[in-house]
Amino acid sequence: MDWFQRIVLTALVVVIGATGWMLIDHELHAKSSAAHTTDPAMKLQQHYAELQRKNARIFAKIIALKESGKYDAAMNRLKTLMAKHGDNAYGYVLLARLEYAQGSLTNALHAYRKAVELDPDYVDKTTPLFIGTEIMDVITKSRGKINRERKLKPGDPKIRAAVNDIYYLQRRIAGGCE
Amino acid sequence: MSLKKIFDIAIITGLLLGGGSVLLSYLGNPVNSGICLSCFLENLAGAMKLHNEVRMSYIRPELIGFVLGSFLVAKKTKRFRVTGGSSPVIRFFLGLFIILGCAVFIGCPIKMILRLAAGDLTAVAATAGLVAGVWLGTRYIRAGVALDRAGHLPAMNGYLFTIFAILLLVFFFLKPTFIVFGQKGPAALHAPWTVAIAAGLIIGGFAQASGLCITGGIRNLFLVGEKTLFMGVIATLVSAFIVSLVTGQFHPGLHGQPASHLDHFWSFLAMVLVGLASTIIDGCPFRQIIKTGQGDVDAAITSFGMLLGAAIAVGWSLRATSAGPEFGGKIAVLAGLAMCLIIALNYRRPQGLRR
Repeated sequence: MDWFQRIVLTALVVVIGATGWMLIDHELHAKSSAAHTTDPAMKLQQHYAELQRKNARIFAKIIALKESGKYDAAMNRLKTLMAKHGDNAYGYVLLARLEYAQGSLTNALHAYRKAVELDPDYVDKTTPLFIGTEIMDVITKSRGKINRERKLKPGDPKIRAAVNDIYYLQRRIAGGCE
Repeated sequence: MSLKKIFDIAIITGLLLGGGSVLLSYLGNPVNSGICLSCFLENLAGAMKLHNEVRMSYIRPELIGFVLGSFLVAKKTKRFRVTGGSSPVIRFFLGLFIILGCAVFIGCPIKMILRLAAGDLTAVAATAGLVAGVWLGTRYIRAGVALDRAGHLPAMNGYLFTIFAILLLVFFFLKPTFIVFGQKGPAALHAPWTVAIAAGLIIGGFAQASGLCITGGIRNLFLVGEKTLFMGVIATLVSAFIVSLVTGQFHPGLHGQPASHLDHFWSFLAMVLVGLASTIIDGCPFRQIIKTGQGDVDAAITSFGMLLGAAIAVGWSLRATSAGPEFGGKIAVLAGLAMCLIIALNYRRPQGLRR
């Protein structure tokens, strides 16, 4: 080993040592400050709990009206609220439930689709928001009627859209890497 | 090594790849995505904050296992050769477009086989597209289209991607604050890490020894009628089918298939791009990752292109979802095909194979 190699090797050891020391020091500080907050899984659970509390607060009157069977009043109130909270996926879940309760299957399916598009957590089994079973139940109950209407009115855009919504929801509930 | 031995090892690799992938799904990986290079790279890109989709952010140990398994076997069998310098920028961009093509279909060629084996009929159009793309690639080769010849490079070039894989493994265990591990969506779905890394190492090692490649198998069949690797591809399909049946993951049909869409034309065209580009750069995404472990610097550059492709597929929505392909994804597929055509025009050598 000549003098050049000795100098380069010494410099390399110093640079690697300094990098390692800085990284370990940085991570130890970052970990200790992160320890004061919460771990990501816990944070996520808190987020869902907060989201559910917020939704229950925003939509409390609509839920009460639905439970007492006043669907028209609930629907009117929901539409007003959704004009204000248009990006709230839970609004579409409630809309789907109201539409379904009133027998409007195609509208219910479309509202479920909008909810899933806005927040895929509704079909994610790893989250507490998962309503895949509820959606599959609606699909199972709707399929017969929609298939009959499809045969009676071939080419009807509303029925075609409902069939597309069913396929979309089935694919999302099936899972996969998406 | 005798021809019979190579034949056997390609089939064994195929059996391990197909069966292992379905088992990984059974043990926790996303459905039909036990092994999917494009999904894994999208996850890796998210973990490295190259896109912001937390649901797709995770370091898949299988990916690290592929590189390290390949590296160890290549070293052991003295097949670690550091080569490179064959049209690196073109390979980088073809790697990028290959992953964009995969993103429009929603899966790499291995996932395409897994989807078929699980009864997903939406993968039929993609299979036809991949075969058509590879066939087109073989016509290019016959017409004399080939990228520049690779040459030997200093040894350290061949170790860098393996060091990158080891660094990812360190990140996987130490979980530094700058790496994202998603807690929901596909990121939250994974087999136990011990199984994942063992599967990666074993399949990676066998894939290095056999040279198994999905597009390479089809290419060899078209180009010279050679069936060794193709039998490995068939073994992948058969073993995935059997394990899907046994583990209750076989659901035949066109509708309700996980991570799929019904836009068959774009599935076909996207996989034409994947087949054609993979033939030009000599290997599907899986093969590119395996080749990085054996010192192939061109494959390493392609893999970094694939990583960037995975990042922009999610970050710029150049992909498909269950609702169908996004507009950007369609444009990306057409741009990729245009690039392949431009390469064909520029890299045609008059002394190429002709019939």
